[in-house]
Amino acid sequence: MKKTGLICLLVFLLVPTLYTFANGEDEGAATGELTVWCWDPNFNGYSMKQAAAVYTAQNPDATINVVDIPENIEAKIEAGLQAGGVGLPDISLFQDFIIEKFLQNYPGSFVDLKAEGIDYSQFAPYKVGPMSEGESTYGIPFDTGATGFFLRTEVLEAAGLAPEDFYEGMTWAEVIALGEVVKAKTGKALIAYDNTSFDFLRIMVQSTGEQFFRADGTVDYDTPAIKKSLGILKEMNEKGLLYMAEGWNNWIAAYNGVDDVDAAGFINGVWIVGTLKSQPENAGKWMVAPTPRLDGFEKGRNASNNGGSSWYVFSTTKAKTLAVDFLQNTWAGTSPEALDFYNRILKDAGAMGTFLPSREGSNYQAEDAFFYGSQPVFKDFSNWMAQVPVLKYTPNYSAMRIALNNAMQLMYAGDLASVDDVVAAAATEYSQISGN
Amino acid sequence: MIVRTRRLSISRVLLMTLFVLGAVISLFPFIWMLVGSTQNPNDVVRGSLRPGKEFLLNWEKINSTYNVLRFFFNSMKIALVTVALGIVVNSLAAFGFEKYRSKARDRVFGVLLLTLVVPQMAIVIPLFKQVAAMRMLNQHIAIILPSVMSVFIIFFLRQNFKMFPTEIMEAARVDGAAEGRIFFSIVIPSMKATFASASIYIFLAQWNSYLWPLMTILSDEVKTLPIAMSSVMRSYTIEYGGLMILVCISTFPILLLFLAMQRQFVQGLMGSIK
Amino acid sequence: MLIQNKYHRYLNRTGWLFIIPALLFYAVFMLYPIFSSLFLVTQKWKGLTREFVGLGNFVRMFHDMIFWKALGHNFLFMFIQIPLMVFLAMIIAVVLNQGIRRFRGVFRTIYFLPCVTSLVAYSVLFRILLQTNGLLNNLMINLRIIPESIAWLNDPFWAKMTIIIALTWRWTGYNMVFFLVGLQNIDGEIYEAAEVDGASKKRQFLSITLPLLVPVILFSLVTSTNGTMQLFDEPNILTNEGGPANATMTAALYIYRQAFVLNSDFGYASALSYVMVLIAGVLAFIQIKVLGDKKS
Repeated sequence: MKKTGLICLLVFLLVPTLYTFANGEDEGAATGELTVWCWDPNFNGYSMKQAAAVYTAQNPDATINVVDIPENIEAKIEAGLQAGGVGLPDISLFQDFIIEKFLQNYPGSFVDLKAEGIDYSQFAPYKVGPMSEGESTYGIPFDTGATGFFLRTEVLEAAGLAPEDFYEGMTWAEVIALGEVVKAKTGKALIAYDNTSFDFLRIMVQSTGEQFFRADGTVDYDTPAIKKSLGILKEMNEKGLLYMAEGWNNWIAAYNGVDDVDAAGFINGVWIVGTLKSQPENAGKWMVAPTPRLDGFEKGRNASNNGGSSWYVFSTTKAKTLAVDFLQNTWAGTSPEALDFYNRILKDAGAMGTFLPSREGSNYQAEDAFFYGSQPVFKDFSNWMAQVPVLKYTPNYSAMRIALNNAMQLMYAGDLASVDDVVAAAATEYSQISGN
Repeated sequence: MIVRTRRLSISRVLLMTLFVLGAVISLFPFIWMLVGSTQNPNDVVRGSLRPGKEFLLNWEKINSTYNVLRFFFNSMKIALVTVALGIVVNSLAAFGFEKYRSKARDRVFGVLLLTLVVPQMAIVIPLFKQVAAMRMLNQHIAIILPSVMSVFIIFFLRQNFKMFPTEIMEAARVDGAAEGRIFFSIVIPSMKATFASASIYIFLAQWNSYLWPLMTILSDEVKTLPIAMSSVMRSYTIEYGGLMILVCISTFPILLLFLAMQRQFVQGLMGSIK
Repeated sequence: MLIQNKYHRYLNRTGWLFIIPALLFYAVFMLYPIFSSLFLVTQKWKGLTREFVGLGNFVRMFHDMIFWKALGHNFLFMFIQIPLMVFLAMIIAVVLNQGIRRFRGVFRTIYFLPCVTSLVAYSVLFRILLQTNGLLNNLMINLRIIPESIAWLNDPFWAKMTIIIALTWRWTGYNMVFFLVGLQNIDGEIYEAAEVDGASKKRQFLSITLPLLVPVILFSLVTSTNGTMQLFDEPNILTNEGGPANATMTAALYIYRQAFVLNSDFGYASALSYVMVLIAGVLAFIQIKVLGDKKS
């Protein structure tokens, strides 16, 4: 009896290891099947499906499956990379700040697309930086997260302000002064702020042209850029200029209502336009002003970035040639079909690419009646995109932002009194959660 | 005496009020999800309780992006197969542990009980590698197999089997019945309530499971309802009305199941704490 | 004698046959994963890169206040939420059993319903409900219960309360059923005798009902403890990844984040997992002692 049991156990333990020897063959170009992961069927999923349609129209033997992955695609990719690539698709989208961590922790897991012949001079440089390592470049940039200051003109009007009060070159000090007017006249906060998110501080710091990390990759919270930004947020919060939302959904609800809003506006990336347009009743109310700048930073601009993601090909793919050919002829393609595709996803899904030739498309130049005074918003965003200072992520970006954001939450809750305390608390938590 | 009755009835009214309040709190989310599925997304977020007229619109929106019925059937299939396998495997084990006691098996049972408290999180990472190595990822079998054997269910069933008189087994043996037959044709039919409540347990746990399917499911065709809900929540633009419909679809079937089998369920619970 | 012995062996073999399928599942999906990851605890393992650190992960753990804080939250919920919930469940059951005759079955069903909802479903609802300008705050302000909105999800203290409220909403009715079952097992004649002796209701509860319910109380405490040690879903979805500022971080959630969110450190995550298993083991030992005593 004992022996049989033992044998059974051994068989069960060995079978999985034996399975791992199975492997596939590389298939020829333009035929075969690709699986692509993304996470929003109305935005990046829609865009990828359009790209797939363009490609399969010319290559009928290719099949491209676009799959919607719920919550935390990064954790899933992490799990797949852990399992030696099992369960991973051929191509996946993920946030730009993750790639450096993956490249460091999972060397050799991504296909070097530069070596495969992609021309990176055609993409916005700030997107290409993080995905490059030495002579290699690994991703195909998808969308930009170029930021703007979104404002509801009817609230400004009620406060006696005009759209022109928010102008190119404005500083945070001026924004605070205007915010106080809005607060005094309407009782509303100027900016809807997502308390669970690090986005806002990141936008401010990136606009200064400064960094969260030193040149050697170690974190540095004690910098003028971070402390000044924290000081501004603290002041705005104390003056009631921030509407504190709990999480993403609550944050959207704070400004996207039809009749009544909690805040006059917000700052975020261009990709939020689709969310605004999901309320057609608000047509004509919104305007987009440039991102405010911080005083005293030489490399500072009235432009920043938040979010944005890129496509990557996993080395474990069985259809590398097809994957590269597909990306080359759609997302990195200059054919009329490819450029038309970029032009279409901008209009239909609000997806603004970072492929420079696509900026000539008609929808990039067009006036948009959804915005106040038919503002040509995508043209404005293109201009801002070109000025965005480069932000370095390093593999520790996740830990850095979590530690700092937690300290900021304590600041808003009144548990940390000064900016110096916030910086110190963030540094302590960072060293504990990162083990560095 | 009259005073006493009056006081009693006042406290009774108070008690009743408290209980009704408690019932309202318990029921509120259920009512709200029904109302929410008929509302405009904005009203859902604002927490309005007035029923809207957009149920069909919400359904069309959600069903055009997601294959809602597919998710429903996936969830149902996974839960039912898990119940079928789980009931067989666990009840056999529970019966073996309880009615064929030996020192060695008692010790094995002790080890099982110890792992009852091992957090799922502690084994998720190695288990994922395991399932990946077995080439089961992105298949329903990856969700089903790891949740077939449940120490809790074995424990639960074993407690119940304690009530089954050993004398009946002895009598059957004298009549020449094999052990397997005793179990399948005598024990199972006489303990329907126990099996029913164990089934509900397994069904509920699997129907609602989230973390593990989230890790192992990779494509749309195999998604379950909880995963679909979290997909919707992840979108940049959330269809709250449609989300509420999904919430309803994931809630009401098990609600009905529970209401239908309530008696058996409670009876089964009785056995476990005697 | 020989026949007796042979029969014994036959029964013994049958016993093993009954449990072998379960043991196979157990070996493949539980034991193997646990032991195959044992060596990880000595590694600083980031993704595919590994470095031997000996007991370094455990040294790091001792300095990692976030982990201890998270573990502390598990115990906080264990010592505050569970007694509260078990007490509530008992009171409701006792009143349903004796005080309220009408609609008893209806109440029982309604109170039980929350525990059948899916985690994702109820998290969605609670998140919307508990927003600062959400339904609950508006309602309580209108009824003048509170002067101003409570930041249920944004304030470290109230976020903990949110978890407690959510867990209590979901599981009180579930535990109530155990008490109802326990109460049905108590012989009604005891109360009649007590009534004759002139004992008040309160006195009856304290000296008859309560002592007889001790096994049920223990059972409820034990099963709830296991759930609370594993608490993951609620702080992950409801209070947004253990927020605000780690105020609702739990051990399981922290382990998940070390492996999948922070820096892919599976070695450290495994080391933390084993510490949790150890703690769970100690708790299990206590539980088995407690439950074992109950039987005698």
